[in-house]
Amino acid sequence: MKVEIFDRLMAAQVSRRTMLQGAASVGAVAAGAAVGLGGLTRSSFAQSSIRAEILRIPGVGVGSPGDSDWQKVGALCLGPTKGNVASGEFAGVELTFLGLNNQNLHNFLFRGFLKPWEAYTGAKINWIDLAQADYNARLQQSIATGTVDFDIIEMGAPFEGDVCGKGLASEMPGWVEGQIEMDDYVDYLKAPVGTWDGKTYRISIDGDCHNFNYRTDYFTDADFAASWKAEGHDGPWEVPTTWQKVQEVTKFLKGKKIGGFEANGYLDPLKGWGGFGFYFLGSRATAYAKHPNDTAWLFDSDTMKPRVNNPAWVRAIQDVLDVLDAQPTDQINADPGTTGFQQFLAGTGSMLSWWGDIGSNAKTSDSSVVGDTIGFSILPGSDDVYNSKTGQWDTLPSGPNFAPNMAYIGWGVYVMARVDGDAKKHKAAWSAAAHLGGKDISLWCAAYPSGFQPYRNSHFDIPEWVSAGYDEAFIVNYLASQSDSYNHPNAAIEPRIPGIFQYYSIAEDELAKIYAGQYSAQDGADRIAVAWEKLTDQIGRESQIALYKASLGI
Amino acid sequence: MSMPAQSDGDKLHVVTSDHMSPGRILAGRTLVWSAAVLLAVMLIAQALYEFEVISFGFENWRPVLYAYLLWAIAMGVAQVLIRGEQGKRALFVLPAVLFVVSMVIFPMLFGLYISFTDWNLASVTGRKFNGLDNFRQMLSDPFYWNALLNMVYYVAAIAVEYIIAFGLALLLNADIRARKFFRVALLLPLMLSPVAVSWMVGKSMMEIRFGPLARLGRFLGWESPSFFGTPEVARLAIMVMDAWTFIPFMMIMILAGLQALPKEVLEAAKVDGATAWQSFWEVIFPLMLPVSITAIVIRIIFKLKLADIIINVTSGGPGGATDSVTSFIFREYRDRSNVGYGTLLAMVYLVLIIVFILMLLSGVNRWMRRTSQGGFG
Repeated sequence: MKVEIFDRLMAAQVSRRTMLQGAASVGAVAAGAAVGLGGLTRSSFAQSSIRAEILRIPGVGVGSPGDSDWQKVGALCLGPTKGNVASGEFAGVELTFLGLNNQNLHNFLFRGFLKPWEAYTGAKINWIDLAQADYNARLQQSIATGTVDFDIIEMGAPFEGDVCGKGLASEMPGWVEGQIEMDDYVDYLKAPVGTWDGKTYRISIDGDCHNFNYRTDYFTDADFAASWKAEGHDGPWEVPTTWQKVQEVTKFLKGKKIGGFEANGYLDPLKGWGGFGFYFLGSRATAYAKHPNDTAWLFDSDTMKPRVNNPAWVRAIQDVLDVLDAQPTDQINADPGTTGFQQFLAGTGSMLSWWGDIGSNAKTSDSSVVGDTIGFSILPGSDDVYNSKTGQWDTLPSGPNFAPNMAYIGWGVYVMARVDGDAKKHKAAWSAAAHLGGKDISLWCAAYPSGFQPYRNSHFDIPEWVSAGYDEAFIVNYLASQSDSYNHPNAAIEPRIPGIFQYYSIAEDELAKIYAGQYSAQDGADRIAVAWEKLTDQIGRESQIALYKASLGI
Repeated sequence: MSMPAQSDGDKLHVVTSDHMSPGRILAGRTLVWSAAVLLAVMLIAQALYEFEVISFGFENWRPVLYAYLLWAIAMGVAQVLIRGEQGKRALFVLPAVLFVVSMVIFPMLFGLYISFTDWNLASVTGRKFNGLDNFRQMLSDPFYWNALLNMVYYVAAIAVEYIIAFGLALLLNADIRARKFFRVALLLPLMLSPVAVSWMVGKSMMEIRFGPLARLGRFLGWESPSFFGTPEVARLAIMVMDAWTFIPFMMIMILAGLQALPKEVLEAAKVDGATAWQSFWEVIFPLMLPVSITAIVIRIIFKLKLADIIINVTSGGPGGATDSVTSFIFREYRDRSNVGYGTLLAMVYLVLIIVFILMLLSGVNRWMRRTSQGGFG
């Protein structure tokens, strides 16, 4: 679980009473387990017992866990490893693990989790800790200069093109798939994510997507409802579920006030953010551009011809331009971080696309004033969707087209191909990775500060959370907003091609000029497309096409 | 120790007189040439291997580096063997020369080569020589030219900074109350990292809703203060933040110059009945020109590197209005891993800077010669 989410949950729920209730229910589960619950098999009994036990380390509401807790969790979750590896089997093996040190989590957790694994298997792990800002450059330089000096890497799926696409990763052995119970992944993390040319490389340890965050007080405001009706708008005053309505609401709110302050509709981050800003245009565009009959939505899969200047994307850009004058003052200089944390959480604006942590910060951040007035849903849809194959806008018989933006896809653990030549090292590396990506350990990571979000179907088992001490109403609300996006059949999955952030970065520069009024939406989009074509040629068009297809599972 | 006679000339500082036997000289030459041949062979072999002309070679260039180090050591030893005392003297300079060659000259030449290659770190084919393609791309790159134009504005702002710095220096040079306190206080911004300035001033004080400067703006009647919303205001805001950090630098240099002015000249001017303005314009200012020029040139060099505040506060926006060449190159490198093109942009910028500074210095020299001939009085 991301730290902010944990903090929020703590702030949201922990009273002495709920704590006692939680402890009592956990106790009941443990007691039930102790005497044996008639209908359960031994293994499922043992597993549920372990899951209940690890969820008590250190216990919900008793502060953030530390290294000793991580080691305890690692030791309790060694069962699957012991099923595949004999004690001391990897004696003499040394592995190097490259990962992040964000918020003193990530690698710090992995160290604790893997200590019991090291003691059991006899292997030793050396650590390379990197700050997020240094990660991309370090990885790209290692690849470009042929100096991959690590055996296991914690890596986001967007980099798979750079690593798996270049044959630098080791293919996952069959036994690992069984050990980590990959069937349990939410739909969008299943193949093709984590696979290239039909081979599996990734052990997921996280999930990511953009949700739609909105202010409930805006959409229950009687004055707005009356004005909405008086101005002759269609339908009731309610949370918009399509981008057409988002636009209408945003324009409607211009010049109005709520609680004496200026009211604003949807917030568009208009300043770049090292490539990450492009995700926010993507969230506006996916409903227009991601057709249910087509897996591709950013490039043509046969030619890598950019679609960023097709009518769907241009419409999304034009949408941004159409509500520029309804944005808060100085929005042109607001990057996503500013927009999310300094504006939306501080009470400016009523709608925003963001990853899970805006919602989680709403109650815990000191600068947040929207803790009790925030609601979540999947990203809005569109009444019509652009069909790139026919060049027409289709109206689907099923209603609006929804296409949640699976922005960044989340972190995974990968083993590098350099261990492939040494059978013992190969098995050791995969065993370590499988230990970190195990089903039970992942539950603990989902429930406590770890830097990771829920990503398995088993993480959405509400009673398990409740029995661990979480408030049911809150956890239902929080988890539903994510699972509905993760499991959406028309989710827009990010292309995992080499240099994807280069494409985004170039686009950000051109978008900044469009938003500053220097080009029209179409002109600017054409410029992005030209620059993207050039970049594709530079990186290698044929290989990009092959890798793009592989990433789409074509 | 008895000093050798002046007529000894070259032997003036020789402490020991070495006997240079032919064998010793031969040994020295053999040593240095052996190491040189080894280095050359390894260099050529590795280059041929890298270009896939031959099939054997080292995994990386590290052994060639070791051969270079070996040659450098052999070169040092050979100096002593061949030239004796003179060689020992050379040893005081040789390591520094080799270090500069290794760490400055070679990387610069290598950078020059990189700038003529198509090298995107994400490219499957790696680095490819592409002649003048990067240069041609630069000529038609609106972002680079926009950034260069912005640099002209940023550099021009130094004129204003200089006037303010001179004024502050004059104040601090005068007999004012709490002069020492003001000297320290005015120097404080210089001690701050530009990154800290970006966050403290750009992102906090200039925050449009809660920032104190925005509140002040509203208090003064600016309805919706926005420091980075329009191109002109955003550029000005960046200039102000940068100036706030570096005016103290110019001020302290000018202050040092003022304190070194000969008192007699100023007193003579006073005796001659010069007004305060005449003293300043016809005595102090001309005498301060050399210091001023130095301060301005160094400030220009600082200014041409302007990037951190821009990267943190505006990312070059809105619409490229505040982009500097360095911040653009940073994006090209960091966000786009476009090493070849980014290096070319940096090399061209280096050339432009050198040409600009040379022209500036020569222009200033000519102007100062003319003014000194013509006289200020």
